[in-house]
Amino acid sequence: MGPLYPQLLLNPQYNLLIGALIGVGFGFLLEASGFTNTRKLAGIFYGYDATVIKVFFTAALTALIGLFFLHYMGWIDITLTFYPKTFWIPTLIGGAIMGLGFIIGGFCPGTSLSAAASGKIDGIVFIIGVLLGIFGFIFTYDTAWEALRKSGKMGRVNIADWIGMKEGLFIFLFTVIAIVTFIVFQKWQDSWKRKMDQKDIDDLGI
Amino acid sequence: MKRREILIMALLLVGSFITIFLPNVKPHKHIIGAKQLLYEVNKQGRYVNTDAVAKMIMESDPSLLLIDIRSPKEYAKYTIDGAINIPFDKILDKANVDYFNQDVYTTVLFSNGTSLADQAWLTLRSYDYKGNKVMKGGLNQWYKTIINPQKPADDHLTAEAKQAYLFRKGAQIYFTGATPVSSAAPTSKPKASGKPIVKRKKKEVSGGCG
Repeated sequence: MGPLYPQLLLNPQYNLLIGALIGVGFGFLLEASGFTNTRKLAGIFYGYDATVIKVFFTAALTALIGLFFLHYMGWIDITLTFYPKTFWIPTLIGGAIMGLGFIIGGFCPGTSLSAAASGKIDGIVFIIGVLLGIFGFIFTYDTAWEALRKSGKMGRVNIADWIGMKEGLFIFLFTVIAIVTFIVFQKWQDSWKRKMDQKDIDDLGI
Repeated sequence: MKRREILIMALLLVGSFITIFLPNVKPHKHIIGAKQLLYEVNKQGRYVNTDAVAKMIMESDPSLLLIDIRSPKEYAKYTIDGAINIPFDKILDKANVDYFNQDVYTTVLFSNGTSLADQAWLTLRSYDYKGNKVMKGGLNQWYKTIINPQKPADDHLTAEAKQAYLFRKGAQIYFTGATPVSSAAPTSKPKASGKPIVKRKKKEVSGGCG
C-alpha cells in the first residue's frame, strides 16, 4: 500500500496539506506535553527530568517496530521510504553543535517553534538564533564548507547492513539498550528529586 | 517507575523480540493503480516497429531480448531468430521474473498480432515491471515488412518510404538468405539466448524531513 506519494497512490499536491495538518497536531502535542518549557527539555542534561529521552526513544522504537510489522503485513514498503545518504564526519560535528545548542538554548528547532507560537520570548529569541545560523551557513555554503560537507561519505546505509547484523536482531538489541537507558535515567532523576527542595522543583515549572 | 511506563516498555520489548524471527526487509511487488495504467496504455510508448527490431538484430544489439509469448507449438513452428519462448500463461511465473523485471535488456514481446503481446505487457506493467516493449503488428507485420516486403507504388514515393523499402529489402536478404520469400516461411530452429544477468536498480525516493 504505502508509502503513498512514491507509488502515486496519492496526488503529490496533497503533500503540503497533509504535512500542514500533521504539523499542527505535532505542535499541539508538544505544547500539551510541556515540551515548550526549556527547563523540562534541558532537564535531561542535568538529570532532574528524563522525559526527553523517554519520548524520543519511545517514538523511534514505536516507528521502527511498527514500520517493520507493517512492511510484513504488506501495508507499507520500507524500501521506498526516504532516508538520506550518510556523511559521518559532518553529521558528528553537526550533532555536537546541535547538542550544545540544546543545552545552552534549551530548545531543539521544533520545540522552539512551538514555544514561539505560544508566545514564549525565549522561543522567539531561539528562532532568531536558528535563522542566523541557517543564513550564515547558506551564504558560506559554497566557499567555506565544501571539504567538510563531502567528508566521511558512506552512501545510503543502515546500521544493521553496515555491521552485517540481521535487521530484526538489531531492532531487539536497540530496544534493550533503550530500555536500559530509560531505567538508568529514571534512577538518576529519582536521586536528583530526593536531593532537591520542593521549592526548587516548583521553580522549574515542570 | 509508573505502571504505564512499564507497560510501554514491555510492549516494545515483546514487539522487538518478534522482529528477530522476521527475515530481512525486501522490496514489495508493487501494484500499479488503474489510473496510472490507463495513462501508460494511452502513451503508446511501449511499441517498437518491426523495422526497429530488425535493425537491432542486424546490428547484433546486445541489449535486445526478444520474447515470443505464443504457445511452444507455435514457437517451434516459426519464430524470429534469437527469440526465446515464454508462453503468455507463464509470464508471471517466478522463474521468469528476471526476464521481465530488469533494466539491463530491452525486452520486446511479440505474438502473431499486437493484442496478445499487448495484454502481456499490460499484465507485467500492473506488477510495476519496467523496460518491456511490444512489437507492433507482431509476426504478421514482421512477415509483411521484413520477410516479404512489398514494393510501394512508384507514383508518390517519398524519400523516406524509398529508404524504408531499401532497408526492408536488405533485411529480407539478411533474414531469409537472399531469396525473396513469397510462400514458405523459414523453419530454422530458433536459438535461445541465455538468461539475463539482472542488476536491480534501487528506486530513488524524494522527500523526508526538513
